[in-house]
Amino acid sequence: MKILVCLKQILDPEVSPRDFQVDPDRLEAVLGSASLVTNIFCENALETALQLREGSDSEITAMTFGPDDAEETLRKAFALKVDHAYRIATPEIPHCNSAGAATVLAAAIKKLGTFDLIMLGRESGDWGEGQTAGLVAEMLGLNCVSFVDQIDIVDAGVHLQRQTDVGREKLVSDTPVVVSITNTETNVPRIPKTRDIMLAHRKELTTWTLDDIGLDEEKVTRAANATQVVELYIPEETSSCEFITGDSLDDRIRELAQRIANIVQSV
Amino acid sequence: MSCLLPGMELDRATIGLVAEAERIARQLSVEHVVVASGVPAELLQHATRQADRVVVLPTKEPGDYQIEPCLAALHTVGAELKPRLVLLGQDTYSQEIAPRLAHRLQGCSIGDAQRIEIRDEKIHVTRGVYGGKAIAVVRANVEPAVVWTRSRAFAAEPERSAACQVEHHEGGTDDSSGSEIIERSREAASGVRLEDAQVIVSGGRGLGGPEPFAELGELAKSMKAEVAASRAACDAGWVSPSLQIGQTGKKVAPELYLAIAISGASQHLMGIADAKVVAAINTDADAPIFRHCQFGLVEDFRKVIGPLKEQIEESNG
Amino acid sequence: MDDATRQVLWNIKHVWVMYVLLVPTAVVAGYGVYRHVRQWRRGQPSARFDRPIERLARVLKMAILQATIWRDPLAGALHAMMFWGFVTLLIATTVVMIDHDFNVPIMKGSFYLYFQSLFVDCLGALAMVGVALAAIRRWGLRPKKLVFSDEANGILVLIFVILASGFLLEGWRIAATNDEWSSWSPVGLMVARVSTTVVSVDALRTAHLIVWWGHLLLVFGLIAWAPYTKLLHIVTAPLNIYTSNLDAPAGSLQPIDFESAEVFGVKNLEQFTWKDLLDLDSCTECGQCTSVCPANAVGKALSPRDIILDLQRQLPAMGRPLSGHTDVANEPSSIIADGTPLSAEALWQCTTCGACVETCPVAIEQYPKIVDMRRFLVMEDAQFPRTLQGALTSMEQRGHPFRGTQASRTDWADGLDVPHIKEVDQPEVLLWVGCGGALVDRNQKSTRALAKLLQHAGVKFGILGRDESCTGDPARRIGNEFLFDTLARQTIETLNSHQVHTVVTACPHCFNTFRNEYPQFGGKFEVYHHTTYLAKLIGENRLTLDASQIGTITLHDPCYLGRHNGITDEPRQILAKVSEAPLIEMEQHGTQSFCCGGGGGMSFVDEPPDQRVNVERSKQALSSGADTIAVACPFCTTMLEDGVGALQSDRKVVVKDVAELLWDSVENSNAAKADVGDRDKS
Repeated sequence: MKILVCLKQILDPEVSPRDFQVDPDRLEAVLGSASLVTNIFCENALETALQLREGSDSEITAMTFGPDDAEETLRKAFALKVDHAYRIATPEIPHCNSAGAATVLAAAIKKLGTFDLIMLGRESGDWGEGQTAGLVAEMLGLNCVSFVDQIDIVDAGVHLQRQTDVGREKLVSDTPVVVSITNTETNVPRIPKTRDIMLAHRKELTTWTLDDIGLDEEKVTRAANATQVVELYIPEETSSCEFITGDSLDDRIRELAQRIANIVQSV
Repeated sequence: MSCLLPGMELDRATIGLVAEAERIARQLSVEHVVVASGVPAELLQHATRQADRVVVLPTKEPGDYQIEPCLAALHTVGAELKPRLVLLGQDTYSQEIAPRLAHRLQGCSIGDAQRIEIRDEKIHVTRGVYGGKAIAVVRANVEPAVVWTRSRAFAAEPERSAACQVEHHEGGTDDSSGSEIIERSREAASGVRLEDAQVIVSGGRGLGGPEPFAELGELAKSMKAEVAASRAACDAGWVSPSLQIGQTGKKVAPELYLAIAISGASQHLMGIADAKVVAAINTDADAPIFRHCQFGLVEDFRKVIGPLKEQIEESNG
Repeated sequence: MDDATRQVLWNIKHVWVMYVLLVPTAVVAGYGVYRHVRQWRRGQPSARFDRPIERLARVLKMAILQATIWRDPLAGALHAMMFWGFVTLLIATTVVMIDHDFNVPIMKGSFYLYFQSLFVDCLGALAMVGVALAAIRRWGLRPKKLVFSDEANGILVLIFVILASGFLLEGWRIAATNDEWSSWSPVGLMVARVSTTVVSVDALRTAHLIVWWGHLLLVFGLIAWAPYTKLLHIVTAPLNIYTSNLDAPAGSLQPIDFESAEVFGVKNLEQFTWKDLLDLDSCTECGQCTSVCPANAVGKALSPRDIILDLQRQLPAMGRPLSGHTDVANEPSSIIADGTPLSAEALWQCTTCGACVETCPVAIEQYPKIVDMRRFLVMEDAQFPRTLQGALTSMEQRGHPFRGTQASRTDWADGLDVPHIKEVDQPEVLLWVGCGGALVDRNQKSTRALAKLLQHAGVKFGILGRDESCTGDPARRIGNEFLFDTLARQTIETLNSHQVHTVVTACPHCFNTFRNEYPQFGGKFEVYHHTTYLAKLIGENRLTLDASQIGTITLHDPCYLGRHNGITDEPRQILAKVSEAPLIEMEQHGTQSFCCGGGGGMSFVDEPPDQRVNVERSKQALSSGADTIAVACPFCTTMLEDGVGALQSDRKVVVKDVAELLWDSVENSNAAKADVGDRDKS
């Protein structure tokens, strides 16, 4: 089975709120002293792919797009022993939203040929819209199944499982299919072995330009311009918490219990 | 237009969704059409008093949902109706349909909307980004804007005096599908789903281990609440990851969210942004959670949980 | 008196048989030792022969004077009695040999009487007492830390029989030869008198002959057998002490050459150094290490003694191609195995507190071996507790181990006007805050106190703020040497680029890394723990204090300050200025402190509720009765505060860093002065 995993590099979601800043002119987050990390759901997707490969004759290709920094994400994927890695070198596209991203990815996938499984993370830790998988599928004319947490290869294609609001679902799907992966107990990203981290820097990584995949900046920008960020700001913290006071702890607990009971009883 | 998909019931989320569509339609001076598929009759009934038209798509049986046929049917209806805005809920199906429907209708898609406004005749969506650290306002430059929403946060709308008719649509032409849901099992889980819970008691890293969760469970019982946890507590293996609230966990909207020994990372706060009342018990008065609370108690949880449970039971009678 | 002597080899014929028997004895014993030497030589290189004077002094202290064995007074006493007894007997035998075989007549006169007769007799008797105590301990008291084996029983019986038969021989000779100097051999004389009341002198003569040969066979037998038993330590212990790490427990972890190492860490015995292997053969099974292990004390699986003994048990099979095992490319399976003392579970319980190393009477280095095996688990096997994964990933991605923290590096300094080091003209010191001091809410208060103290004393200092990053201590102890290597080089580069020479830090882990580990990477800084630096400031009268407001205090010595770096006086000097009440010492303090449970990356691992090291230590601290538990480490602060909280004491006991207490004292002094000032005005 040929598996493609799309990886996104994002601003560390765990950067402390004090260190997080936005550029009011460019309407973008400022990197500052924060690090760039691979989006956690993408890592879950990669882990799912690695597990699939363990039980089958499969090949994993990792792909990302972005400036040179994004290469680090692919090096990490190499450390986890993906078979191939591609980076589409894109200039920094302002507000490259899901539509812009899907445009780049779909064009690259088309150029790479057929994959049986195209896996993406459920959403990203920065803009977190969870749209890219669906858009890639539409652009490639493929089916898409979202929020998948388990994949099994069967004769007819793949069995996919997911948790939805109405219960657990099992799906059977032909391949190729686009799948968005969510986090679950079984796909916690593994840690690479040190030797593999060292070797990862020697692996050959393919870098393509937009031109190589038949796109230009303008086309991507046009796709991305379907939506536009008009404001980006850090919300002011409004501390309106009323701290419960009282002479004794008993009094304070009684007061707290009363307030809780009032709400609970009105439900 | 607003889309009601299988699995939706007449609850706060759905009522909010239809109401918001109704309000926006009025602002845009356009027709409000509810498109429904496989939803219960009472929900359709409610929709008829909130919309100009209610269009029902065919399903093999009530509640049946298959991704590709549902998408194809919505595409067909959407192409006919040419809406400016398509509103969907926060459930799995809405989220997966939204971007694809947007693409097919040659519109744009925006996810996780907390507020929708019309500015200068254009649709603007407000949403939390960067794990809740920032707020973004996104404008739809092309329409239709297909938006999935945190509909639980939306207020209800008074019913119209007259109910509209329910129309039946023949649906999409494309019924062939390479992907099919072949099994669906309701969770055997006890109690209410966290997303639907009215009261939640949640524990965090400060609990120091798995054992206080038993006490939390007792307290929750007295409050008729569900138990949840922060990511730190789940990561540490104290409770099942299925209880995790936050950006990478569940997003909840209870009437009361009681956070115990949770400091309140922005990712966690993102999961409780739709809660009506947040209260907290924490030893550190400077903990970020208190900046998002209506009321709180600065105290060691160990000294509070037991007596609190007794007090609440007392007031329950 | 000058003619005092005795006849050597009285009553014995065919003495040549003894010399003949000596050959197989020497061969068997020699082979026994050689076997081990051959195994040690299979180990990896390790430089252990520098500083010979210090090494000899160590051997003198630990081996000859038996200085470290007295931690367990009973075991110490009985071992010393047997040791000195047998050493004396060995010297006596040597004297006989010189006199008889080399024909140098030294066994006469007052030397014969005072040494060869009286002293040897008394020391022999002392050895007998030692044996008796050992018997009472082994078969009566049965302390948990002992290994109960047939071998140990056999050795004890054999030693007893040899000593007893020696006295019988002496007594019977005295009786039969009517030795005129017999009063110089009190024990022998007593045996003689008792014996002659029971049997005739002729019978004694016969019995003497039989017992003499029996005694000889037993002694030769013991010599031959010894290298095959725990008595091997008679040879290995002095050797091991000579080649030990002179800075232990600090400076034990060595860098890895990642370009050339075939295996990262230890998977099989072959990856240990020859010194590690010598360690294994030096173990006397005394169990002292396990008895001081904090993880073991709270009921966890970890037992340093059993780790050493299990490795020792596997030594004979080391490097042998596994016959019949053709699985997995003929690679021997890892020594780390579930259900053995070397289970991953046990390896992940070690806090690297170093108590085992500190207490070992033969200078075995237990915890560094645990870290070596962790290196394999982390770097080669990528298997470790999930919460550690979070800490490691965070160190790698964000330069700190506290995943999920909301704080930034400089939150603690809000309103304090603490400048970045590059903005300070000719700074005296860099205040290295450390992740624990900056990113954990609780510790920000301690860091603020320290900064205010430095400001109050007029110290010109700066911080690195966002340029600071983890020193790598947790990574190294968790076993991710690769990550430590990276972080260490980065930190050294950062400090060098800011021309930092002197560093003050409140974190003993950072302190230890700067002091003992960065030199391995070429980073040389003058580093002070804040307790040392503050004590210095007090000594220079740069701080004014008021000691009247703070009640009773007990001090928890952080492992990486006290045991690893020998700093135990300075925090006490400060506390003596802070409170008028004398310091209440816990039973385990100073270099023998009991770990808070947070070292070795273990503050990032969840312990089972009934097996928490921090709770155990908190119990000890609470039972001291002090109002305040003073600490000097951000990890200890949070571990003990959690522990005290979990114990729900009715008493209000606070956990405070020494810097916080000192700042309280400075503030109280200021307030007192302000009071006086106010009064003056009015």
